[in-house]
This record gives sequence, structure tokens and C-alpha cells, in this order.
Amino acid sequence: MAFLRLQGTRVLAVDLAGDAVRAKNGAMVAYDGEMTFKKMTGGGEGLRGLMTRRITGEAMAVMEVKGHGTCYFADRATEINLVRLDGEKLFVEASNLLVTETSLRTGTTFTGLRGASQGNGLFTTTVEGTGQAAILSDGPAIVLRVTAQTPLVVDPGAYVAHTGGLRQQLQTAVGWRTLVGEGSGESFQIRFEGDGLVYVQPSERITVGGQL
Amino acid sequence: MSHPPPPSAPPTPPAGPVIHDAWTLPSNDNVNPYAFSVELDGQWFLQKGKMIAFYGQVDFQGIGAGRLDHLIAENFHSPMHAADWVVAQGRGKMLLADRSYDINSYRLDDGNLTIRSGNLLAFEPGLSLKQSIIPGFLTLIGTGTFVAASNGAVHFVEPPIRVDPQALVGWADCPSPCHHYDHAYLRGVLGGVRAMTGIGGASGEEHQYEFVGAGQVLLQSTESVLAERATGAGPEPGT
Repeated sequence: MAFLRLQGTRVLAVDLAGDAVRAKNGAMVAYDGEMTFKKMTGGGEGLRGLMTRRITGEAMAVMEVKGHGTCYFADRATEINLVRLDGEKLFVEASNLLVTETSLRTGTTFTGLRGASQGNGLFTTTVEGTGQAAILSDGPAIVLRVTAQTPLVVDPGAYVAHTGGLRQQLQTAVGWRTLVGEGSGESFQIRFEGDGLVYVQPSERITVGGQL
Repeated sequence: MSHPPPPSAPPTPPAGPVIHDAWTLPSNDNVNPYAFSVELDGQWFLQKGKMIAFYGQVDFQGIGAGRLDHLIAENFHSPMHAADWVVAQGRGKMLLADRSYDINSYRLDDGNLTIRSGNLLAFEPGLSLKQSIIPGFLTLIGTGTFVAASNGAVHFVEPPIRVDPQALVGWADCPSPCHHYDHAYLRGVLGGVRAMTGIGGASGEEHQYEFVGAGQVLLQSTESVLAERATGAGPEPGT
């Protein structure tokens, strides 16, 4: 059974005993023991997965790491967050997914307009099953709980991932003032309703609309 | 005599990240070194694009737009910056962050503080914002809390001190910030050539800001500055 643990906050150590994990291509920084690295075309989701990823643009370069020992992963010194899944579904951008256990299935799903506003495309990656996944964020991610009474509104640039039964909708406050550059600067927001957890990062990537 | 059962201990959080919700988010305090949670009940001023998430009912409006026009007269004396700032209005908890830089809140008690415009994230309406006479800096006057970002931790130092312009975040109560040039470096023919052309190796440390008098100077532990906001030039000579 692969065991994921954080070494500090920016390096992930994975203990392997003959089993495997999937990791972002090229994210290995060091290893101890015997490891083999195998590129998995199409995120290791078979031909159908490969086609879906090609078509949706949610390309994910993944490798399978297998062996005995400890393998260390890191990506551009961004913060790493461990997520334990117990049968629920994690929605995350492919570029923010660092390592998943092989007991987890990955796939693609349609996100609607939110993806477009984020500059991440209309599709996102899902991770499903039981096991651990490691996700990347620019600055340590803050986990926010959404309940029926407390919906949450998130800036698209700060959104990283979410789990649970959440409905999301893009809310816009675009008016003529936005067009002439006098907008509120927070014109696009994603509203999460339902029950679940949302991961946000303390920074905003540049979105299609620029600094919104 | 029977006692009610002791309140059960709060469930131990599962191993993993802390999960915040609308009630456990701190009120006007840092969530972690990189994010600040504002308990909003009324208005706060924010620089555009620094809000990352909020619970509750919050509206964002451009300053000087519509019914918020009067704020320019009361709290926001810098029309030049009005386009970069918004007013958050409503009730709820709001998270602020900036490019995962260190975020700190400061409280002014009938005081004044001048800060690089790119470093200031948000402030309470108890403070009023003015343009500093030094281009690129803003001055906050009054009583209230403000939130600022810095690349690396902020250090407080007391004058007299000379600081690198890029490492300067701001200063409080100091009456006399001024430029200081290392003149010895520029003496002689060779020095002149260096000064004019940069040939011969400019150390990059010929120019500092000098502070004397009572007060505090805020420094960040890096020389890379946050993106400057256009603040306009000083008044034209002769005006």
C-alpha cells in the first residue's frame, strides 16, 4: 500500500513497497530504493480516456511510479496538500494534481462556464474512489466547508479543487462599467451551494478576463 | 444529585488540513500567513482582485460609481486610485490574499502610515486614504485596521536608518523621508563615468531612502517589489 506523507509543505514523500502511484510527469525530485517510471499516455485512463482528454484539452501528463523505497515529488516549490478520499469525488484541475494512489480513478468532466472564466477550459479532472491524492496550490490551500446555510463564493483565480455534493454556478456582475474599466474588479465569481469542501489558494492566477 | 453529562469533547479533527467554515474562520485575523479573514459588517475598501472567497452576502462596487460616490469625499481622497479600488459592502466573512505573499494586518490608533501602493490590500473606513507626496506611496490617516502584503516577513526598524528603496514597504510617523545618494562613490573621473553609464560596475546600492526622527520603518525581506500601481507624477514644476 502506497503511503503519502508531506516532507515539509512543498515536498511529498511516497513510501512504496512494490506497488505504484500515479504522478505528474517529471515531478520526481529524488528517490531512495528501486523505482521505475513509466509514462502513461492519456492519464492512464485507457483509449477512451485518452480520446476524452485530447478532445477536452484537459491533457494530463502522468507517469506511473513503481518500486520499493521512498520517492519524493515536488513541483516548482508550490505547496502540496493531501486529500483523503473515502468514496467521494474530487474535482481538480489537471495541472494541480500531483500524485494519486492507483486505487483512485481519474476522469474528465464538464464544468460549464466556470472553467472558461478561469482560463482552464470547459473541463476539469475528477478523482474518485478510496485513497489519497496530493494537490498543488500556490501558497497553502485553505479548506472551506460549504453547507446548505452557508454557501460560498470564490474568485475563479483562487479556486483549486472541491469535493462533495456541490452545485456551482458562475455569477457575473458585468455591466457597462466593467467594459469601460470602472468595474468592481470582482465581476466573475463562482458560487458553491450544497454540502462539501472547497480548496482555495491565497493567490490568483491570471484569468481570461485579466485581473478581475 | 445528578449532574448533566459534561459537554462532550469536540471531535478530534481528522488528520489532514484544517477545515474552516463560516463560523470557525477567524474574525479580522490571519487564517495562515498568506490569507486574512475579514469579518465584514458594513464596508471595507479593497484593492481589486484581492478577494479570494467569501461567505455571506457581499457586494462589490467600484468607488465613485453611483451611490458610493460620496465615499470619495469621506474616506478616499485619491481619485487617481479610484479605478484600482472597490468597496465590499454587506455582511459575512471575506478572505483576502495576494499572490501568496505574506499578509499582515496593522491597527492605527489616530495615527498615520505611508505604504507602497502595491502593498496595500484593504482598509477599514475608519481610515482615510490619501496620496503620499512621494510618488508610488499612499498615506493612511485615522483609526482602524488595514491589511498589507509583503514579499517575505515585515521587519520594523527605528530611525535613523537608510534603507534600500526596493525593500521599503512603508513608514509610520516619520516626518522626513528623503533620498540619500552615496556621493563618495561618484567622485572623480571614473566615478563620473560610472554614474553616467553604469560601466565599471554599479553596485545598485548608491541610492537609499533616509529616515530620521521618531517613528517606525517597515521593511520586507526581499528587494523584489510588488507590482506598482500607477500613482501619477508629482505636481508639475512651477505649479
